[in-house]
Amino acid sequence: MRKPSRKTVVVVAVVLLVLWGSFLVLINWAMRQPPEMFGRVMMHVPMPAFFVLPFETLWNQARVGTVQVGDAAPDFRLPTLDHKEQVELSALRGKPVVLVFGSYT
Amino acid sequence: MAFYAVYILEAHPTDIWTMQSNVKDNVLFASPKNDQERENVANACVRKLGIKFPAIVDGFDNTTEKAYTGWPDRLYLISSDGKVLYKSKPGPFGFKPDQLEGAIKKLPEVRAAK
Repeated sequence: MRKPSRKTVVVVAVVLLVLWGSFLVLINWAMRQPPEMFGRVMMHVPMPAFFVLPFETLWNQARVGTVQVGDAAPDFRLPTLDHKEQVELSALRGKPVVLVFGSYT
Repeated sequence: MAFYAVYILEAHPTDIWTMQSNVKDNVLFASPKNDQERENVANACVRKLGIKFPAIVDGFDNTTEKAYTGWPDRLYLISSDGKVLYKSKPGPFGFKPDQLEGAIKKLPEVRAAK
């Protein structure tokens, strides 16, 4: 088999780099969209593709949020699942509060 | 100390981005279309996962999730005077209960009780 020329190797490397960079930009953009939009992009991305990106680092940066340690926790008033009461964070002053955000899937 | 599970929008509903792990475990829910459907999924979540502390449900406008950047899952510890003491990195990678436990152990209220 003939050894590829130096020019061919460079062209292939540049093409791969451009493809990787474009993919990186796309995923980074998607991560900064609302969750539904992010999911609609990611549903078309094959799982092995995740391994060519620093996915966790990008994710941590994209989802860093505005509330930081030391800030006043944003107040909310939400119903309990059994509708027996409304929980207002500011009304819980005087005791520490743990909030576990999540869903089923 | 108070613990609350804040139920927010689904991470991997069947109509958007289904994970094979959810298919395998038969945890298959389409995106809720209204508050009642969201509550139905939240009820299933609490019941099947055996969540023992109170669950509160974010509104369909996701206001609380947006304020806390809680999606897909995240842990917070709020001090008794309303300040954020601990905020995990975003899940799934950053959802680390052991880190939360460490932060809880540093609370003055917990240290004083020892």
